[in-house]
Amino acid sequence: MTILLRIEALSVQADGKTLLEPLSLNLAAGECLTILGETGAGKSLLMHAIMGTLPPPLTASGRILLGDTDLASLERSARERLWGQQLAMLPQEPWHSLDPLMPALQQVAEVHECVHGQAPEQAQQTATQALTGVGLEAAAARLPGQLSGGMAQRLAFCAATAAGAPILLADEPTKGLDASRRDQVATLLRQHAQQGALLTITHDVEVARQLGGTLLVMRAGHLLESGDAQAILAAPQHDYTRALIAADPRHWPAPLVAAVTGAPASEPVLEARGLRLKRGGRQLFEGLDLRIEPGEILGIAGDSGCGKSSLGDLLLGLLPADAGVVTRRPGVAAHRYLKLYQDPPAAFAAGVPLRRLFDDVLRLHRLDPAKLPPLLERLRLRPELLARPATEVSGGELQRLAIARALLLDPLLLFADEPVSRLDPITAREVTELLVQSARERGCALLLVSHDAEALARACDRHIRLG
Amino acid sequence: MLQLILRRLLQAAFVTWSVGTLSFVLMRLLPGDMEFRIAAGRYGYDHVDLAAAEAVRAELGLDRPGWQIYLQWLGDLLRFNLGDSLVSGLPVSHEIAHLLGHTLLLAGAAMLIALLIAAPVGVWAALRAGGWFDRLSLLVSALLRAQPVFVIGLGLLLVFALEWRMLPVAGFDGPRYLILPALTLALAMAAVSSRVVRHSAAEVLRSAYFNFARVKGLSLRQALQRHGARNAALPVVVFLGIQLASVIEGVVMIESLFSWPGVGHGLAHAVFNRDVPMIQGAAMALGLLFVALNLLVDLACHLIDPRQRSAH
Amino acid sequence: MPRLFASLSTSQRVGAGLLALLVLFAVLEGLLGRTDPALQNLAQRFATPSLAEPLGTDPFGRSMLARMGAALRLSLSLSLVCVLTSALIGVALGIAAGWRQGWVDRALSFVLNVVLALPGLVLILLVAGLAPGSLLALYVAISLVLWVEYFRVVRAITRQAVASQPMQASRMLGFGWRYCLRRHVWPALVGPVATLAAFGAAGSIMALAALGFVAVGLRPPTAELGLMMVELFPYYSDAPWVLAQPVLAVFLLVLGLNLLAGKRA
Repeated sequence: MTILLRIEALSVQADGKTLLEPLSLNLAAGECLTILGETGAGKSLLMHAIMGTLPPPLTASGRILLGDTDLASLERSARERLWGQQLAMLPQEPWHSLDPLMPALQQVAEVHECVHGQAPEQAQQTATQALTGVGLEAAAARLPGQLSGGMAQRLAFCAATAAGAPILLADEPTKGLDASRRDQVATLLRQHAQQGALLTITHDVEVARQLGGTLLVMRAGHLLESGDAQAILAAPQHDYTRALIAADPRHWPAPLVAAVTGAPASEPVLEARGLRLKRGGRQLFEGLDLRIEPGEILGIAGDSGCGKSSLGDLLLGLLPADAGVVTRRPGVAAHRYLKLYQDPPAAFAAGVPLRRLFDDVLRLHRLDPAKLPPLLERLRLRPELLARPATEVSGGELQRLAIARALLLDPLLLFADEPVSRLDPITAREVTELLVQSARERGCALLLVSHDAEALARACDRHIRLG
Repeated sequence: MLQLILRRLLQAAFVTWSVGTLSFVLMRLLPGDMEFRIAAGRYGYDHVDLAAAEAVRAELGLDRPGWQIYLQWLGDLLRFNLGDSLVSGLPVSHEIAHLLGHTLLLAGAAMLIALLIAAPVGVWAALRAGGWFDRLSLLVSALLRAQPVFVIGLGLLLVFALEWRMLPVAGFDGPRYLILPALTLALAMAAVSSRVVRHSAAEVLRSAYFNFARVKGLSLRQALQRHGARNAALPVVVFLGIQLASVIEGVVMIESLFSWPGVGHGLAHAVFNRDVPMIQGAAMALGLLFVALNLLVDLACHLIDPRQRSAH
Repeated sequence: MPRLFASLSTSQRVGAGLLALLVLFAVLEGLLGRTDPALQNLAQRFATPSLAEPLGTDPFGRSMLARMGAALRLSLSLSLVCVLTSALIGVALGIAAGWRQGWVDRALSFVLNVVLALPGLVLILLVAGLAPGSLLALYVAISLVLWVEYFRVVRAITRQAVASQPMQASRMLGFGWRYCLRRHVWPALVGPVATLAAFGAAGSIMALAALGFVAVGLRPPTAELGLMMVELFPYYSDAPWVLAQPVLAVFLLVLGLNLLAGKRA
């Protein structure tokens, strides 16, 4: 088995601080090597250190051997010549990594022109084949802004690998994709590994399982355990690995939170008939009927850009529908239909201590301030957090604070727009569980949006799919 | 596309209406009777007497209420009947046509020179962002921007025309006369637009898509050509549209400074002499030039950005 | 006030310092100076700077110290009044248009398009032509041009804030417009409006000087920076230090304001 890439004691520092602890690994031909861990700290730096794209204050030390050459000792221009042809990197944000003014096909074809010196027509043909291979032939003439998240990721895959590099580095390749799109991308990556080698960074246990091969589990720049992927996932040694696996929606208990039995059937909190919405010339949905019972937990699944958020805004009356009607239960105050945002800071005015925002709500609705402490405790929040502005509180805590503020108003319906997609998996599970529990305890209906149908299947009473 | 043109046509209508109305008010505010001034405009001050004024009054119906005269005034405007200059007695439209050519020459030359300075300076500063060239160009730009454009002109005039006698001082009699006014205007424009180019180019160089183009295997030159130029040009062209107003303002000041026989000089002169038909004609010419240049910028944006084309 | 100063960058502090010096000079000269800026003394043409005449005299023997003081007071106070007027009108109408949208927005945007149809200086020239030599006409004309910029920016920011998720969240929680204005719109406006005010002041100083320069603004013997440049330019080789004074004054005023406005292209 030939080793294509050997990394010896590679670490990353910035201003005397070590951000990535020394790490060694071998990547053999045909191998899939996956690094599993929370989003953020350390993992992405490894990719950039290997490529040689670390932004200025960051420096790498250690050896990166490609065959016999140590990349760390090469000039920058020599390393740049390896890009595409020896080392390819799949970007984390495919949408932002594609030129917004260039049609999809050209973004792949130009690589064949520039790197392989093909004539424009021939390059277009080669690129068309590649796009057909990933099911994008119909999107060849579209601009990136007109592609869905899954399509953009597949296009980025074609573009990144067009120059023919055997080694592919993939940084969170399935971020924001729903299960079926995620499986498609995992398949593409596995196929590529057979002709070269693959190094993937992911927080998604399921992706790690599908890719197989060797698995490294990391947290905050430290290596916790490594070995055969299936073996580790079947019998994890480290507590963190166990927590990570348990946080994967597939391993959630079903149901996540037991339903309260015997809820008497009564008037629905919201009813929608024949909803239709068009966005950017695309029909998102049509003839959609929805009836939400009190205390019901309803999931909405779908790919990014399929109109999940718009549907929620439509139901809450924040967006006019192209057709159809939404009726709320009559005689209920407007502020009992509320929303939780995907981006937790979005719920709070910036630059003001959170306590003041909570006081504002308590005063406006003449609520008893004594209601707040037990609610915070229920959501496992320290009251001291309220002294800080929203920007200085972690995403998981902020999302729970947003839930607490909503629950103060005793809502009938909460629309939660991917409330945990920006959180790491362990926090995501905790927040989802707390959200569903709190809704159940108060008999509040919950509309839970997610790209992860597995999570919805376990957290919700029923779920629908868009797109 | 059609929408763009319609929007600018509407703007042209605004220009005509607002200039016409202001000029009408101006005419009514002038001391003395309107018919005397119009008669003076027609026959010269020496030949104006009560009879001539009476004839004008009867012919133009100046006894009518103000709003009727106002409507007729606007009607004349729409037929490009701008009247005669109160100073020279010549038809305003002829004079403006003569002046407009010079103004177009000056503005065109200035914009071309500004582009030739701003584009390379801005791109070079962006490629070495934070380096000595970037900081030097920022300093020069800040110093230039802290002067009204005519002070830059005064400085160039002192050095190149009066001290070194390399170039003519003022007027227009051959291409050498174009150099100083065009350069002055260009420096003032480039001081701002070089920074816009720099920011836009730096933005593109930092962008995820530019880095991805490199990682795909494109060389720096290829990535700049294919992904840099167009993406960076878009905000610059949009900014050019905003800068156009200051180009026209610069034309007024520079033409006055260098006695350049253009519309801006004509306007300042006419305001000084209270030559209302000429004020109206010159202001309208500058306003319509502004609209036309804006339309060109709109069309350029439309050509560069495929997203706009597919949106319509 | 100390907190405000601490939030400024180094270049903004330099700008504030420059302006403070110029204002100080203008005010002190006004309080202590006893010379009439229009008083001629033909025996004293182009006197070089001395103890009695620290800035020398002009071709009519008028005190440059008195003239510079008067000119600076004129420029500074005109720009201040213009900025206050235009900011007040622009911000109020901008918030109204950005918030209400609908017909209020369309009506105000129509007015905006009428004003924007002409380059600012051409409009100022036209209005100046209505009342030659009148300071009031200049004030009205400059404010008329300046408010547009506030209106545009404030309208755009207000629209954005009104559509933003934090404000959407507040509205859903039942908060009214007063609360949203205070918590969401106003904090977003303060910075950009301050920047615009500094640029606007620089713009009105330059516009006043430009009008004087093309001889359609204020009339002699008013001491006005642009007018002084035209008057003194013919004597550039006899008395360069005299010509340099109004040029330097405009330069320092505008530089100070631009620095204070902060980094923006």
